[in-house]
Amino acid sequence: MIEPIRLSLPKGRVLNEALKLLERAGIRPEGDPNGSRKLMFPDQEGWLQFVVLKPVDIPVYVESGAVDVGIVGSDIVRELDVDVYEPLDLGIGQCRLVLAAPRGTTLALDQELRVATKYPRTAERFFASRNAHVHVVRLEGSVEIAPLLGLSNGIIDLVETGRTLRDNDLVVLEEVERVSAKLIINRTSMKMRSAEMRKLIAQLDTVVYAHH
Amino acid sequence: MKSASPGLPAGFRDLLHEEVKTRRAIETRMAEIFSDQGYRELSPPMVELLEVYARGNQHLHQEAIKFLDRHDQLVALRADFTPAVARIVASRFSGLPGPFRIWYSGDVFRKVDRHHTRFCEFGQVGAELIGLPGPDGDREILSLAIGLLDALGLAEVQVHLNHAGIFGGLIRELALDRRGASEVRSEIDRKDTRGLARRLEELGVEEEIRRQVQALTMCIGGPEVLQEARTLLRNAESASALDDLARLSDSISGWSDRIVYDLTEVDEMEYYTGIMLTFFAPQLRGELGKGGRYDALLGAFGLEAPAVGFSFSMDHLVELQ
Repeated sequence: MIEPIRLSLPKGRVLNEALKLLERAGIRPEGDPNGSRKLMFPDQEGWLQFVVLKPVDIPVYVESGAVDVGIVGSDIVRELDVDVYEPLDLGIGQCRLVLAAPRGTTLALDQELRVATKYPRTAERFFASRNAHVHVVRLEGSVEIAPLLGLSNGIIDLVETGRTLRDNDLVVLEEVERVSAKLIINRTSMKMRSAEMRKLIAQLDTVVYAHH
Repeated sequence: MKSASPGLPAGFRDLLHEEVKTRRAIETRMAEIFSDQGYRELSPPMVELLEVYARGNQHLHQEAIKFLDRHDQLVALRADFTPAVARIVASRFSGLPGPFRIWYSGDVFRKVDRHHTRFCEFGQVGAELIGLPGPDGDREILSLAIGLLDALGLAEVQVHLNHAGIFGGLIRELALDRRGASEVRSEIDRKDTRGLARRLEELGVEEEIRRQVQALTMCIGGPEVLQEARTLLRNAESASALDDLARLSDSISGWSDRIVYDLTEVDEMEYYTGIMLTFFAPQLRGELGKGGRYDALLGAFGLEAPAVGFSFSMDHLVELQ
């Protein structure tokens, strides 16, 4: 008996979009994934096993091979810098990672600057590419409040509608990167189960690029 | 009051009775095969000058665990055997007639893993064949590896074969600058075919060659993929690499059920100069081992000599017993 392919889905804002995309690709969970609190459930054809995980944990599960495939934001893949295949940009969960600061301030590079973020490595890379020496403060959440309390001069954070920034009187200074959900695959799984992986990629590719 | 046990440093573990026993049994069995095939054991020191890991496109110096020796020289715990073997052969055997057949077994140390899913110390057992160029050397080293797997009862292990010159030749044909070429290598490595297509277009690569790159990212399977790639690729370097691989394929047709021709991978570090081998076992999450031809490495240590080799993860071999 061959084990099903384990596919991890991100808990939170992208989960429903991911399930809809899979549904359009003809991949349906057995039962209602929202109706139960189970974190693992099979698909209807029985070749996949879904695992719902915290997004930030998905790259590590996939890199280690504990799960074969993941759907997770490119922001997290870049930040964790894992060694996995990224065969498809799924085009869902789109948003931007931006550098923002309180209205009326600028981040002059000749000052001593501090920037708060949940993405310390991405932030370091971003400033290094601009030859800027910025002290990056790593936070776990509510990053937008850091400048108001004087912890930092600015933030690097995800922006979807811009509402949170406006509510906190922050303005976007620059886009760091565009973000969307990626399909990521464990390197060994891609080789050892190549037929199934190709089928999965092809099915998803068809719906992602249906309108192109 | 009793004091608590001091525990272990992060990333290290104790090997307990059964695992040590299994390790030794595997090593003993492999030692017999190596010896039968004319391979002799070397045991380089546990510490090398850090420089040893920086030469010849190895990119190991970042992962190496470094410290200062008593002369304040930057040194590292053994991060790999191959560079140490290259150093020994280049400095001690350079006047002797080759080829040199060498095997080794022991632990290596790397700060491998930011996410702490693996250990920093792991066992490696492998071989190097130095001084025998091209298909003869390739065939011998592949046959040695398969002989070892057979002796350990691991007939289910797959060998994925590739040649650095196939994608290498095609990428050089793109005539990109260093940065563009390195970007293309990373894109190929991610396996995002549409992203790769966009990037190649942005870089101004002509359509015919874009099509070749795209088609090559699909070339994995039996010996027929060598034919497929041969009709696809026109540049001399890729063609000659495919010829090498085809000759090797003919000479190992007896093992065809365990060989997969995987031309989809690119060597990001540009370390390999000829065949590339990766060993996979269906029950393992991760590679059992890898290797290939690295004809430029010995030169980085002062002796121009062709070299080919492989190593298995001892921890994975134990897991498979």
